[in-house]
Amino acid sequence: MTTNGGDAVKVVPVRHVGRWIGAVVMVVLAVMLLHTLLFTSRFTWSIVFHYFGTSEIIQGVVKTLELTVLAMIIGIALGVAIAIMRLSPNRLLSAPAWAYTWFFRGTPVYVQLLFWFNIAALFPQLSIGIPFVHAAFLRFNAGNFFTPFNAAFIGLGLNEAAYMSEIARSGLISVDEGQIEAASSLGMRRSQTLRLVVLPQAMRVIIPPTGNEVISMLKTTSLASAISVIETLGAAQNIYAANYEVMPLLITASLWYLVVTTVLSIGQFYLERHFAKGAHRTPPPTPIARLKADVRGIAGKFRTRRGVVAEVVA
Amino acid sequence: MSTATAEATPMVEARGVCKSFAGVEVLKGVDLVVKRGEVTCLIGPSGSGKSTLLRCINHLEKHDAGELRVDGHLVGYEYRDGKLYERNDKQICAERAKIGMVFQRFNLFQHLTVLDNVTIGQVKVRRVGGDQAAVRAKELLARVGLAGKEGAYPSQLSGGQQQRVAIARALAMEPKLMLFDEPTSALDPELVGEVLDVMKDLARSGMTMVVVTHEMGFAREVADTVYFLDHGVIEESGDPREVLTAPRSERLKGFLSKVL
Repeated sequence: MTTNGGDAVKVVPVRHVGRWIGAVVMVVLAVMLLHTLLFTSRFTWSIVFHYFGTSEIIQGVVKTLELTVLAMIIGIALGVAIAIMRLSPNRLLSAPAWAYTWFFRGTPVYVQLLFWFNIAALFPQLSIGIPFVHAAFLRFNAGNFFTPFNAAFIGLGLNEAAYMSEIARSGLISVDEGQIEAASSLGMRRSQTLRLVVLPQAMRVIIPPTGNEVISMLKTTSLASAISVIETLGAAQNIYAANYEVMPLLITASLWYLVVTTVLSIGQFYLERHFAKGAHRTPPPTPIARLKADVRGIAGKFRTRRGVVAEVVA
Repeated sequence: MSTATAEATPMVEARGVCKSFAGVEVLKGVDLVVKRGEVTCLIGPSGSGKSTLLRCINHLEKHDAGELRVDGHLVGYEYRDGKLYERNDKQICAERAKIGMVFQRFNLFQHLTVLDNVTIGQVKVRRVGGDQAAVRAKELLARVGLAGKEGAYPSQLSGGQQQRVAIARALAMEPKLMLFDEPTSALDPELVGEVLDVMKDLARSGMTMVVVTHEMGFAREVADTVYFLDHGVIEESGDPREVLTAPRSERLKGFLSKVL
């Protein structure tokens, strides 16, 4: 700003006409949406919020969370194991791992849920014992064990493992070969190398898509309502079957899914930040820190703009 | 070397060591002797097999034929009752823990601080207590000129600093032998000196070292023996002052004219 013989000169910013038009269109659309939400009587927000806190819906939400947690525990644990098998040089380990992913990814999860729900039709008796000889340590009735809830979380978990194995595999192969060599040269065993060196670094790649999977699972658990598990959607359905307020109750259920998804997203951010240790010279800022920086930046912009004009006037 | 005591056994002894990758012969019968307390430099054009030979010594690569001994013991095998038994993972790891290795690309554990990089091997492999390991790590970091960097992550350090941490990490295992695989090749020219200084200091302390390098100045000044590899065979070897100043083979003459 010293082109005019050292005197400060006013800077005229470029006018972004297209950007202004776009902004106006978006504001109009937002007002329309708000208007529709507030003044369409059939949304009946009073009913939506009345049922939001009822024990029936809350119990449904708790079931949804239980299903999500249990299915993801199975999915992550089994998925990581399958990924490790898949990367084994032994074909007898890698081929079954491939086949598992092929099968569970290749059939609809809804069909799988119905399958586990009806498994007693195929195997009325399940037992744990020595293979091929009829000696069993533990024998139980499949129909009793595969209750709707158990069938749902096992079915969802086994299906999830197929997707998680691919996520875990991509994380494991993203770790540089040199890291494994360095660990070996220190005399670390293969299991130690995996646990202490490879997995912690793979986590940085594994966490973002896993967060995605958790959020996806939260919503997929609504399929369990089809095998008579009363989770969030099932609870909403039970209520509207009695009072016919279909739309308000579907909105109630949706709001709960949104609330939980928001909480999960925040959790994911901090988890990613934790596992990014050492990957960046400076850790990424938290949203609050970023907001503060934005406010400071805008304030600063106004100050300098005024400052430039003042200099010219002086 | 008239007495046949353990002290006289060479630290590394290779006889006719061969190694192929997918049908390509990288080592074609290499003989090499590294005496205790001596510094041996392996030089040669890229693809000559010098890094592969180094990696065979701590069994990061498995040699196909020939005899390779470290400290008198066969690498990767055990000779019993007229048969060679392959060693299992546990035994190989135990052998490797006594051999330090420094890599061209440093290979520091990116998710661990400098201090944790230097303690992890002590704690998890040598089963040293955490406090004792930290004390030892701080001593070693001071020795390589990095006191005060304990809390930094590798990505926050320069290449030269990272390589010095890698040397400290290897030394923390109290190795009887140190292997260096082109330790300065990935460094900016002005950072090479600080790493070579640490290595010279280590050589003076009597550490047995095998160094794959393109630093002819270092080889001439520090090495007791230089081996020149070309196309998987040792073309020439001996005292660096003779080998590097008065090469006999045409290949070594050609190589030196390019690198000096």
